[in-house]
Amino acid sequence: MISAKILSWVTFVYFASFTGYLIGLIRGRDRWARLASWTAAAGLLAHTAALLLRWRASYALGMGHAPLSNLYESLVFFAWAVVFLYLLVEWRTRNRTPGVFVVPVAFLLMAYASISPGVSDRIQPLIPALQSNWLTSHVITCFMGYAAFTVAFGLAILHLIKNRQRKPGREPSRFLTLIPDEHDLEELLYQSVLLGFVFLTLGIITGSVWAHYAWGTYWSWDPKETWSLVTWVIYAGLLHARYVRGWRGRRLAVLALVGFAAMLFTYLGVNYLPSLHAYM
Amino acid sequence: MGIRNNPVWSFFSSLRLTLVLLAVLAVLAVVGTLVPQQESAQELAKRLSPGTIRILGTLQVFDLYHSVWFLLAMGLLTANLIICSINRFPASWRRFKAEAPADEHLFRDLPPERTVYVKGTRDEVVTRAEQALRRRYRDVRRTDASRGPVLQGQKGRITHLGVYAVHLGVLLIVAGGVAGSLFGFDAYVHIGEGETATTADLMGGKGQHNLGFGIRCDRFLIETYENGMPKTYQSDLTFLKNGRPALQGALLVNHPLTFEGIRFYQSSYGQSADGKARLSYSRKGGDRKDEAVTLGESFILPNGEGTVQVLRVEENMMQMGPAVKLGVRSGRGAVQFWVFQEIERIREGNPGLFEQVPLFNPGLFAPYVFSLRGIDARYYTVLKAATDPGVPLVAAGGLFLMAGLLLVFIVDHRRVWVLVEEAKGKVRVAVTGRGLRTSAGLDRELSDLVRVFREKGDAQG
Ligand code: HEM
Repeated sequence: MISAKILSWVTFVYFASFTGYLIGLIRGRDRWARLASWTAAAGLLAHTAALLLRWRASYALGMGHAPLSNLYESLVFFAWAVVFLYLLVEWRTRNRTPGVFVVPVAFLLMAYASISPGVSDRIQPLIPALQSNWLTSHVITCFMGYAAFTVAFGLAILHLIKNRQRKPGREPSRFLTLIPDEHDLEELLYQSVLLGFVFLTLGIITGSVWAHYAWGTYWSWDPKETWSLVTWVIYAGLLHARYVRGWRGRRLAVLALVGFAAMLFTYLGVNYLPSLHAYM
Repeated sequence: MGIRNNPVWSFFSSLRLTLVLLAVLAVLAVVGTLVPQQESAQELAKRLSPGTIRILGTLQVFDLYHSVWFLLAMGLLTANLIICSINRFPASWRRFKAEAPADEHLFRDLPPERTVYVKGTRDEVVTRAEQALRRRYRDVRRTDASRGPVLQGQKGRITHLGVYAVHLGVLLIVAGGVAGSLFGFDAYVHIGEGETATTADLMGGKGQHNLGFGIRCDRFLIETYENGMPKTYQSDLTFLKNGRPALQGALLVNHPLTFEGIRFYQSSYGQSADGKARLSYSRKGGDRKDEAVTLGESFILPNGEGTVQVLRVEENMMQMGPAVKLGVRSGRGAVQFWVFQEIERIREGNPGLFEQVPLFNPGLFAPYVFSLRGIDARYYTVLKAATDPGVPLVAAGGLFLMAGLLLVFIVDHRRVWVLVEEAKGKVRVAVTGRGLRTSAGLDRELSDLVRVFREKGDAQG
């Protein structure tokens, strides 16, 4: 299948992009990072094309559905959303350093999708429960939320590094010169969490509406639902901690890491628990 | 002020409590996904000692989402949310009304590109500034400061109330959940194809519920993909009120039906083994005769030589395929034996089996020989029946929550002020503004406003 071939190439493109960001950061040169951005953008273009091709191919196979219906497709879409959102942030802020922690996440997702034996890249037909327009809106909103949290995760790591390096009596090393100052990093982190929170909320709402039609209950405390609620609650805690209690800096970055871990478990870890969402 | 100093009130108005409760809820939820809940807990129960089970059971660890702990945390959070919101509301309301008078401090240290000298009299310029503001802002007010009139334009002040929409949304969802668990019901209805059900089995083994009407499954249809996965399945149902059809419809996954306030969902299906067995028999060398019988039915052999009853029907008897167990009563007494459909295959695999095991010999009631041509499998459909009076509340809560989030995070409360003053015999306009969020948007708006006065070609100095 042509789309799967493109996607495995895209995996390498993202790896190349990550290398560029890394060299750029270590040597303190923006030129490398710029190259890395363009590489990621080219990857994203091919990635988009592959998704569309796969969509069309599913129609040719007589089961026409958006490529968002099994683990392989969700990994690939997740990676797409991460790169898309990250490039958007980069373009708005004109700072390329977070890429060094965000783009490798996209690379790992793609690599896991292509390599893991448990993940089939075949286009599969939809079982009746998945034949719903809510599937598309649910998956897109959830994964846009996940992608925003991934960007926040990259920013949180940068923030922690910057924070460590700034210890008194320590000469700031050269490679930190490109990292935005802590205040800007934190503002950006907060904005990404907000965006993720809005999307995750939408994702949970669309999921509930769908469950209401498919299973006859909008909430069944199934592990996936429960963990998405846990993730949501952690980020709600982060927003309140900052907005109302004035938490700043390190503590906020650590909460963003905890939220990211919960999000990853919601997405992948939960599959090891018995669940109605088993097909995702 | 009395109530604000009350220790109970201040306990509940603390945001530290919120953070603690959110953490507690997260931990409870996590434990609930790790420890098997409700019915699935029985597996675990076999591996633990009775004492441990009793303690865990008392702690309601096996039904955590309905446990006292969970309800307590939710209850505290609700109180916390309500009291916090009441506490904060007056301040938000003041910010919403934005009565704060325009302050001349705002115009101190303005960058040069935010001021412009304009031709015309002061009153003309004020009118023009007002028009320019009205085009951009719905709410425009004028105050007179010592340096001159100040016009204020603002938009987006609704953002201060967004938080309350979010919190109200959360409360509505909690209320809806409570209403649903108190007044709703959840049950399953099993109906064989062609049969009518009048009762539903309540979830969690809580007995049966009399529906007060009948549901007939006229037909069950299933389509599969080439790989055997189900593609669609559907039950054609007739709802019967007092025995008369009141509603007919097809029930599919993702397409529920409602009757008398109860929603029905296509949940699952299965095959029942009580279908008709298609039997043939012949009397030594005679003609073959066919009969189709269901479990428990009997028929009489020619000339009253015996009565044959179907004792059991198996889809797959001991891994040897479909089979029925027949009992024949006659003047010679009673015999019982199995009749397999795939008799040839079994005989090839196990030569001599039928001679050694008379129970498996279809010719045991000599001189008759029986054979099984097939079993007509019958489908049964499983519907989920539910009423949930909480749903409208939850839906409204979801809408409030989402709308509130958008108000909080997307709408910015922006205010711009235009000071028109006379300085050195000329009219000078100064423009400044404030937004809740740092954004490039406000800068753009201000430059835009300044340009209004520049573009007229009347900018001086
Ligand atoms: C899980 C439920 C909750 C959600 C989803 C939620 C959501 C929000 C959101 C989105 C904001 C705006 C934050 C910002 O601008 O960054 C907010 C603010 C706030 N929340 Fe909550 N909240 C929840 C529970 C609570 C509770 C239980 C309390 C009670 C103590 C509370 C107290 C506040 C306060 C005081 C503010 C600031 C309001 C202001 O602007 O003055 N929240 N909440």
